[in-house]
Amino acid sequence: MTPQRHGSAVITFPNELEVVITREFDAPIALVFEVLTKPEHVTRWGATPPDEMTECSIDLRVGGEYRSSFVTGDGAVFAFSGTYLEVEPPLRTVETWHFNCWPDVEAVETMELQEHDGVTTFTWSLAFSDKAGRDHMTAFDGQQDSLDEVEDILRSLLDVNRA
Amino acid sequence: MAIWRYVVTVPRASTTSDVFNAVGDVNRRAILDVLLTGEKAVGSIVGEVSMSQPQVSRHLRVLGDVGLVRCRAEGRRRLYRLQPERLQPLRDWVTTYERAINDRLDRIEDYLDELQRQGDDP
Repeated sequence: MTPQRHGSAVITFPNELEVVITREFDAPIALVFEVLTKPEHVTRWGATPPDEMTECSIDLRVGGEYRSSFVTGDGAVFAFSGTYLEVEPPLRTVETWHFNCWPDVEAVETMELQEHDGVTTFTWSLAFSDKAGRDHMTAFDGQQDSLDEVEDILRSLLDVNRA
Repeated sequence: MAIWRYVVTVPRASTTSDVFNAVGDVNRRAILDVLLTGEKAVGSIVGEVSMSQPQVSRHLRVLGDVGLVRCRAEGRRRLYRLQPERLQPLRDWVTTYERAINDRLDRIEDYLDELQRQGDDP
């Protein structure tokens, strides 16, 4: 069976502090939740060779911690970690988010799932505690302007170009 | 969570005098917005943005240096026009960013399919 939804993720920047990703999966909500929250599953999709996932621990309860680490082909290490604030299987988890390369950045990640007619909609948001934090994700090499503004103008200009 | 590994490490576009820098300024974007409606002289751009003529001229020079705006003379007037195709590097960067996110989610989809196929086996 050929996957029908490749490339269909929707990425939005609803305000100055958040990044939100939405994607549908043709699978029941319980299975999607497991695949996203159980280490034996996450280690199957978490890294793309030559990357290796070197650590994946998930203590899925309020106050529990998670940590995932990756080593890239050229030896760089990326690690994500945090503490669960809310855990409501299979609908929702909320957790703090730390990334080793951005030590000053504080963020809260929310994962929500909804099933409708056998299709599970997955919404993943990352809310930074300040704009400087989010600009790490969208800034162009030190520029403090956000991607959404740039994207708006980009789209309008490209539309003009096509006209 | 694991999805972020490939999203947060999308290579930053290098910028100093290129198109990224040119559109990174809110005033220059305002000028680009004005030029969206067509070719204009400096005077009419000034009338539509809250900047002085010297400021607008300075920004037009930056936009011209990276090719986003082209200038031509008509009699004694100088007219400025958008060159939107010069935004392609920006578009490429956005595409890279979207691809990093989609690659992750496509992998999850493939894995879910694999699990469900196994589940269907007798």
